[in-house]
Amino acid sequence: MLEVSHLRKVYGPDPSAAPAVADLDFTVGDQEFVCILGSSGCGKTTMLRCLSGLIPFTAGEITLRGKPVTGPPEDMAFVFQDYSRSLLPWMTVRRNIAFPLRYKGVERNDARRATEEALEAVGLADRGDRYPWQLSGGMQQRVAIARALAYRPRILLMDEPFASVDAQTRSGLEDLLLRVKERYGITVLFVTHDIDEAIYLGDRVLVLRPPATVGHAVTVDLPRPRDQVLTKQEPEFARLRGELFAAIDGGSVAA
Amino acid sequence: MSLEGTATVTSAPRGTARANLADTSGSLRRLLGQRWLRDLGLKVSGVLVVLLALEACSRTGLLSRDWFPPITDTYVELFKLAAGQPLWTEIGRTLSGWGLGIALATVLAVPCGILLGSNATAYRMTRVVIEFCRPVPSVALIPLAVLVYGVGLEMKVFLIVFVTFWPILLQVIYGVQDVDPVVRDTARSYGLPAHARFLRVTLPSAAPYIATGLRIASAIALVLAVTAELVVGAPGLGQSIVVAQSNANLPRMYALIIVTGLVGWVINLAFQAIERRLLKWHPSQRQEVAQ
Amino acid sequence: MNRRVLGFLLELALPVAVLVGYGVWASRAQSFYFPPLDEIGRYFGELWLFDRVGSDLVPSLTRMSAGYLASVLVGVSVGLLLGMSRVLRTAAEPVVEFLRALPAPALIPFSLLLFGSGDSSKIFVIVLGAVWPILLNTIDGVRGVDSQQLDMARAYRIPLAARIWRIILPAAGPRIFAGMRTSLAIAIILMVVSEMVASSNGLGYFVLEQQRSFAIPEMWTGIILLGVLGYVLNWLFLRVERRVLAWHFGLKGLAGPATGRTRSAGRSPFGKRRASPSPTPAHSSASSDGEV
Repeated sequence: MLEVSHLRKVYGPDPSAAPAVADLDFTVGDQEFVCILGSSGCGKTTMLRCLSGLIPFTAGEITLRGKPVTGPPEDMAFVFQDYSRSLLPWMTVRRNIAFPLRYKGVERNDARRATEEALEAVGLADRGDRYPWQLSGGMQQRVAIARALAYRPRILLMDEPFASVDAQTRSGLEDLLLRVKERYGITVLFVTHDIDEAIYLGDRVLVLRPPATVGHAVTVDLPRPRDQVLTKQEPEFARLRGELFAAIDGGSVAA
Repeated sequence: MSLEGTATVTSAPRGTARANLADTSGSLRRLLGQRWLRDLGLKVSGVLVVLLALEACSRTGLLSRDWFPPITDTYVELFKLAAGQPLWTEIGRTLSGWGLGIALATVLAVPCGILLGSNATAYRMTRVVIEFCRPVPSVALIPLAVLVYGVGLEMKVFLIVFVTFWPILLQVIYGVQDVDPVVRDTARSYGLPAHARFLRVTLPSAAPYIATGLRIASAIALVLAVTAELVVGAPGLGQSIVVAQSNANLPRMYALIIVTGLVGWVINLAFQAIERRLLKWHPSQRQEVAQ
Repeated sequence: MNRRVLGFLLELALPVAVLVGYGVWASRAQSFYFPPLDEIGRYFGELWLFDRVGSDLVPSLTRMSAGYLASVLVGVSVGLLLGMSRVLRTAAEPVVEFLRALPAPALIPFSLLLFGSGDSSKIFVIVLGAVWPILLNTIDGVRGVDSQQLDMARAYRIPLAARIWRIILPAAGPRIFAGMRTSLAIAIILMVVSEMVASSNGLGYFVLEQQRSFAIPEMWTGIILLGVLGYVLNWLFLRVERRVLAWHFGLKGLAGPATGRTRSAGRSPFGKRRASPSPTPAHSSASSDGEV
């Protein structure tokens, strides 16, 4: 689905300066849920911006379904960390979701149907006529997810989407994400700094070390559907957490 | 002590930011220097493009030469004017009305604003009058001013005082009302007497607001001075523009218009500089320095 | 409840006192320049209900609206262009700063040469004065658009035209409106001034003409009408602003446009932007050019 090989990104005109991303390699399979785990400042955001085609990269190759990424690809959607800044406050929730569809060439009726379906999928069917700033933080992030879903992407990039909501809301959003991923059958690349979240959500977890190289990778062998209480009680969950913790810790010491 | 304390705390981040800037390597400085140079080049070429376009329009007859002489003629006239005495006299006349007006308006508006800003009852009593007088188009009063004061300096000063009083007053009111309540309470809890609180807390906090009010007022005052000279013939730059036009001395007319613009520009620059100085401690400035 | 009534009376006390005081003083003093209220009132009824509405008020309002609309169009479109391109912005800076500082009435003679003494010369002067606050605030507003909203738009492959109409312009809306409010006052002033020079109708012409023929009460009716006009237009503008920017006031939790401190630092929008992450400055600090 998504292949990244020898990705390198240096900011500024001087190619010999310290890279934000150095020699990054990984692949994401079709309908796979891959979590990228890293402490702050390890180049996660830069990497995502390269993958989504928002900024050009210095060297290497990114291909999405066999096609090289040079600009924002058509079948990719992006959910940003700061929902309050990526939703448009002058549009209602419904229009926020329908907004990108118009320019994707989706017909009016289809767009309406996709919007309602996405609203229903994130449990906001009755809030379509509100404005984003009239909703709570968790609901706003659900709107951002609904916008991504309605766009019908093949792959969804998420940049620490639940980092700025409270813990209670967060577990609800995690379960919601897992449900809609199944329902829409999409591939997800999920960036987070939270070990538990990465294990709970992912099929695979990649640990990123500065300057953004894959330092460690684990396959999460936990049964689906996952459950906030039961899954986290599995011994395998505890083992993975220990392994990933060591991997991150080792990385930060090495840095 | 508490006040001295706040002063040092606020200036600390600036100090460190400056130190960091000094530490950065030469390459960064070279980059900044280049950018500065490039911007200057852009600005100069922007001006040149406009001037050349005007010159070309006039020379090719796109704009009739009868009423739009080549811009080079205007500049020749401008330098001739600058060398002579009369131009400076006219500038002086315009600026004397401007200066007197602003000074008087400030003397009147600042005490009123401090009173209204620190006394809620007084503010409520006058609110309706202020709200009504503010949007009234000032220039409607020109005929009245001419009736009462004739066409001399007094008329100009009256107009400018009447009009610039409002923006200064409003800024002072906001400034006084906007004093940080924590700072005010601190000053009170340390037992500062009322006049010291006023001089050490209220006035310094309100100073930037007053400076903004003055900058706004200075621009309005110049517009009014020129308008009064232009419409009713009070002596000054505006009147000489009209005279040049009626004598069909167009290069001179355009030269005088340019001079008027330059006067406005210099005034604006000066007041911006004052404002920035007074605002140094303000968070909006600190953020920029820390950048 | 009682307190509110008391507060209301308190706010009305001074205006009433001023009016009554003037009325009493003027009827006693028999001043030539300051006629009593009832006399002004009588003339006001005679002149403006509705004898001279068609001959003076309507032409004035037509010129003003034409000039104001043109200022908004030019200011917003050029502001967009300069706000989005750093090179153009830098190149245009000195010219814009100069023209902005030039008192617009000084251009009346030039405008008369260019257009003659008809409506277009007056409209031209209004535009030359009123366009700057809109232009500068638009530049500031465009530069302040949240980068994440723009990233979002690019990630969802939204075309440039839609990005401008649906994201940049609405986001800059609060700033644009702040500039438009300043410009409204300027447009009214320049309407009056331009009518005082080489004109044969309009409110400015009327007021000056009455003064020249020493028709003092008539002159006062004109001044009062201009005052009312300024007040009403400003009020109308605030209503429109509240409707158009309802999302903004809702977002900021404001009841309506607050008249606050104008522009915190008095810096030209050409300068460096503040590092502050907040996309739109608090509405109260919005105007880039003060309230001329």
